[in-house]
Amino acid sequence: MSTAMNFSSKSFAPRPPDKGAFPLDHFGECSAFKERFMACLRRSGYESAACRQSAMAYLECRMDRQLMANEPLEKLGFKDLINEKSEEKPEKS
Amino acid sequence: MEPVRDRLIRVTFNADTHASIQWSFKPQQSEIYVVPGETALAFYKAKNPTDKPIIGISTYNVVPFEAGQYFNKIQCFCFEEQRLNPQEEVDMPVFFYIDPEFAEDPKMAKVDLITLSYTFFEAKEGQKLPLPGYQ
Repeated sequence: MSTAMNFSSKSFAPRPPDKGAFPLDHFGECSAFKERFMACLRRSGYESAACRQSAMAYLECRMDRQLMANEPLEKLGFKDLINEKSEEKPEKS
Repeated sequence: MEPVRDRLIRVTFNADTHASIQWSFKPQQSEIYVVPGETALAFYKAKNPTDKPIIGISTYNVVPFEAGQYFNKIQCFCFEEQRLNPQEEVDMPVFFYIDPEFAEDPKMAKVDLITLSYTFFEAKEGQKLPLPGYQ
């Protein structure tokens, strides 16, 4: 059994989130996006990978409404979903 | 950062409130399955059932202890004061990922369950937030 009193170099201390706290969505502006995401989770047996589109849509909702600092979606781990999106766009001639 | 698809991890969610705060606070999902290297979203929900605004502040804990170093929160609702008006109910998201290095750590080889616990306290002036862990 290990205890916390070990001499490993890394030890756990609670760390503030990288990008700070989400402002509260007092008016439920993104509730519909949250509901879609939660419905996806329930359908998929709570598999996060299956619901990344909905997760991304929720975060986009927050960014659109100043409930989250704008961040390129690629930097939030959605690079592959963005590439898919742009591949679907028709080529401009 | 690339997902490590062969390490499926079950993340379960705990919600606590200190006796001093009258919010109700709970996770909106009891668990979510993630892989290291892929960002994930989860929700808690808080309600202030009283007739007075209440300001809360939360901290979190991760078990097993050794997995905590790999648990990265990109954004959440913790460590900053959050005010709920009377009867107000809000969604509280947590956006996180488990560091891919988790999959390289032999000490983590048998870890397939990580529990994230948040505790809300009432924020009072001059009160220092008690942080878990050794200080």
